[in-house]
Amino acid sequence: MYPDFLYIAPLVFVGFGGILLMLLSPFKQITIRMAAFIALFFMLCATGLYFYNISELYSYYPYAQTFGSMIVADNYSAYFSTILLAGAIFTILIGVHYFEKNRGFTTEFFSLFLFSLFGMMLLVHATELITVLIALEIASLSLYVMIGFQKHLDKRMEASFRYLVLGSISGAFFLLGTAFIYANTQTTKISQIGIFIQNNPQSDVMLLIMGVCFIFITFLFKIAAFPLQNWAIDVYDGAPYPVTAFMAGTFKAAIFGFILRFVLVDLELIIDFWDNILYVVILLTLLYGSFLAIIQQSLKRMLAASSIVHTGYLLIAFISIDITGKSAASSIIFYLVAYFLSSMGAFGLLSYISSDDKVRITYEDFRGFAHIRPYMAAMMSVFMLSLAGIPSTIGFIGKFYIFVAAIESGYTLLAVFGILATFVSIYYYFRLIAIMYFYPSAKMQDVPTLHGMAPYFIGIISLIIIWGGIGNTLITYFPGVDFLMDMARLAYDSLQVK
Amino acid sequence: MEFGLLSLIIFLPFFVAMGVLFFPFSAQMTRNIAFATSVIILFLAFKIYYEFELTGYLQLREYHLWMKSYGINYSLGIDGFSLIIMMLIATLIPCAYLMLWDGRTKGYWVSMLLIQTGISGTLFSQDLILFYFFWEAMLLPVFMIIGMFGTGNRVHSTIKITIYTILGSLFMFVCILYLGVQFYHEYGLWSFEMSDLMVISTISRTESLWLFFGFMLAFAIKIPLFPFHTWLLETYSNSPTGGVFLLSSIMAKLGVYAIVRFMMPLFPKLYVEFAPYMMWLGIFGLLYFGIAALMQINIKKMFAYSSASHLGFIVAGIFSLNTYGLTGAAYLIIAHAMATGGIFLLIGKMEYSIGIKAIPALGGIAKQAPLFTTFFAIMLLCIIGLPGTNGFVSEFLIILGTFKFHPTAGIVSAFTVLVAAIFMFWMFQRVILQKTSNDISDMVDLNFKEVLGMLPLAVMIISMGVYPDFFLYKIEPTIQHYLINILHIGVK
Repeated sequence: MYPDFLYIAPLVFVGFGGILLMLLSPFKQITIRMAAFIALFFMLCATGLYFYNISELYSYYPYAQTFGSMIVADNYSAYFSTILLAGAIFTILIGVHYFEKNRGFTTEFFSLFLFSLFGMMLLVHATELITVLIALEIASLSLYVMIGFQKHLDKRMEASFRYLVLGSISGAFFLLGTAFIYANTQTTKISQIGIFIQNNPQSDVMLLIMGVCFIFITFLFKIAAFPLQNWAIDVYDGAPYPVTAFMAGTFKAAIFGFILRFVLVDLELIIDFWDNILYVVILLTLLYGSFLAIIQQSLKRMLAASSIVHTGYLLIAFISIDITGKSAASSIIFYLVAYFLSSMGAFGLLSYISSDDKVRITYEDFRGFAHIRPYMAAMMSVFMLSLAGIPSTIGFIGKFYIFVAAIESGYTLLAVFGILATFVSIYYYFRLIAIMYFYPSAKMQDVPTLHGMAPYFIGIISLIIIWGGIGNTLITYFPGVDFLMDMARLAYDSLQVK
Repeated sequence: MEFGLLSLIIFLPFFVAMGVLFFPFSAQMTRNIAFATSVIILFLAFKIYYEFELTGYLQLREYHLWMKSYGINYSLGIDGFSLIIMMLIATLIPCAYLMLWDGRTKGYWVSMLLIQTGISGTLFSQDLILFYFFWEAMLLPVFMIIGMFGTGNRVHSTIKITIYTILGSLFMFVCILYLGVQFYHEYGLWSFEMSDLMVISTISRTESLWLFFGFMLAFAIKIPLFPFHTWLLETYSNSPTGGVFLLSSIMAKLGVYAIVRFMMPLFPKLYVEFAPYMMWLGIFGLLYFGIAALMQINIKKMFAYSSASHLGFIVAGIFSLNTYGLTGAAYLIIAHAMATGGIFLLIGKMEYSIGIKAIPALGGIAKQAPLFTTFFAIMLLCIIGLPGTNGFVSEFLIILGTFKFHPTAGIVSAFTVLVAAIFMFWMFQRVILQKTSNDISDMVDLNFKEVLGMLPLAVMIISMGVYPDFFLYKIEPTIQHYLINILHIGVK
């Protein structure tokens, strides 16, 4: 056993970093670059702390007396927190240039960024619904401000306000759901809700099911599933690129981190009631998301719309959870990693390209891009291929896991629908590759200049994506997809530790 | 970890391509390196050919764990059928390089190298996920080569062929996953290994019908079989020479190969049951594309359809369920790949010197370019199946096979082949021999390198036609193995 502090140290580090940056913000001597490095320092420390007992199964309530077992540290929370931290670190590394070049970003932004990350990490550690709500609101509130941080841009303000209003309503649903669950079970602790369900017949848990429905509404809203997806495109489009990247990959992972724990620990017995609704939700998410993605001309909006489709894929595995818990849950976790890497890469590259004066927005702006910036075009192609799930990228392996889980649970038809959505996605992802490569280059003065480290980090992401697609046990010492999958399964197992 | 010859053949072009990309080599240098790579692979292929034992079973197995959690393995092996296609590809590619020698960019050669990796990988994979991996990955360099170096409305045709092929392969993907899950349900462990999936017994008839047609769709689009051919004409006419060559003489053959190699063992009952329909579909394709070919006035489009027509014939052969038909199909795959590949390369050469022209605007090339004419004639004679070429041997065998299956089928196919021959001769006369007032003075004859590229193909066409037994004996045990041990219908 390690000392209790070690288990919550990553959370403390990130939270402390946020407070420190807030205290430093009045000093004009602190440049954006310095603030970014301070944030990075705390995040890297926190990440390092998750690696000390990586291969050992554990589930421990640190300071059980003080926190009343509301926070748990297990492989599951460690895995998710590592994803979240990796997402945050890449966001900062790639975004530094963007923050420096664009007006309006200050030290407080990084403070908020760390607070938001803190909220997300707390979300995956929390085992109590009120704590979850607080964590969710910490993360969301910081995001509302981060989206609207550039006060002089109307677009940002609009996106921020839209997300604020809708997000608050969805938060209210969560609270209502928690109240219902408490009324039924007299507890808000996730593990005890599960025990209550086991000990009582289904007729006694109707109120609880109602409560769960309300919580699921929040869930569907936050991951932008049909019919609660309408905010996603506008908010993603309105937010600064790095914030969009952070939301699309990282926040979605955090939400899934909570809901998977909730479902796997508590609801496996009664989740059936939700299947028919979810089936329709998935179909419409895939259908409507694909439709939205096809009609977009702006790349940022296309990526935002396609994130709805990816939500649909994730939900395909989510519906399979009650039948094949382990493979479905680990496939969701894996797909979250795959999607986070690909979308982080794509948004990051776009942010890098458009952080200079010449802003490239639509498909047409990328005409002949491969001839002026071959490496960037190659990286962009890797991200597109990974999002489309073409073999030799991590996206393919992710889709493989998702569809295997679906077929294994008997949802073959859903897998076929998923495949059809993938097929449609070929159009909007390959279109960009075709436009970048198959047309003569645009005017040479539009060449984006190269500066900073961001392209190298984006390059690293694209290498990770390819490694994830072909990486294997051929080079035994180097972790590949098998490692990620083993860890995901370990994370699943740690939820079952009583 | 040890890797054998097959891995070397697969990954040598890949690593060369990666190396070339990262060093600032000129296009010429890249081309020389690519050519050297393909020659090395040819030698490796010869080595495998001589060491290949005469049995129907897989040889040169390589087996490494890839993704443990789902039992996906890096599993390679070849049997007689893959062997001959490997030889074919290894021979064709250096020859094609010689024909494509001048005026290509670096990206072109890198794509060609990557395509060779994809093709070899597809050919050797014994694990279905690995197979799918290469099958799909192969598409990307094709996408690039048509989109970047094609002519006409190339972006449109690139997207079109990509969407068509991906549609097919995605459904195949679901089918593969379904098979894997069924295996897991029956035996309690994950595997996508070909030999494992063959023993699944829990699949109902309805399920296997869906799976059968899921696989069939992917391969039928690739070949292309009627009615999945609508991408064909546009893609062939807008592709650069190298692209057409790859599509017609290699990738289409891989579709046929995959039918024999994967569908036959996986669904033996359905294979036998649907054989008559598929055979008639093949013969219909032979007829339909044959007629379509006659209607074309663009020589490239004409050969595109004639190629599809022969592929229909090959499909008829593999579904004829007897040694003649299958052997003939295997032989026609080689003969046709060499002849059509050669023809498309020659047409590419002609386009390169005098531009794209319709058949009536050509003529009198024989005088201007005698070497060109000689090789063109040999390829053409092979396509129409004149005795003395391997085209004759294979077409004769397939006709025999179809006749044995059903006399009407035999008569229809024999008749079609005959009529096609007459029209081909007519075309040959108009394009090459006949003296006209058309200006074709820009036409240059083949140079030394190009002759060197065409010569092996011509020699092979004739020697395989004169002495077929020498080439057939390697594949016969495999075909007997298919018929006796897999389809359980015995050698008829």
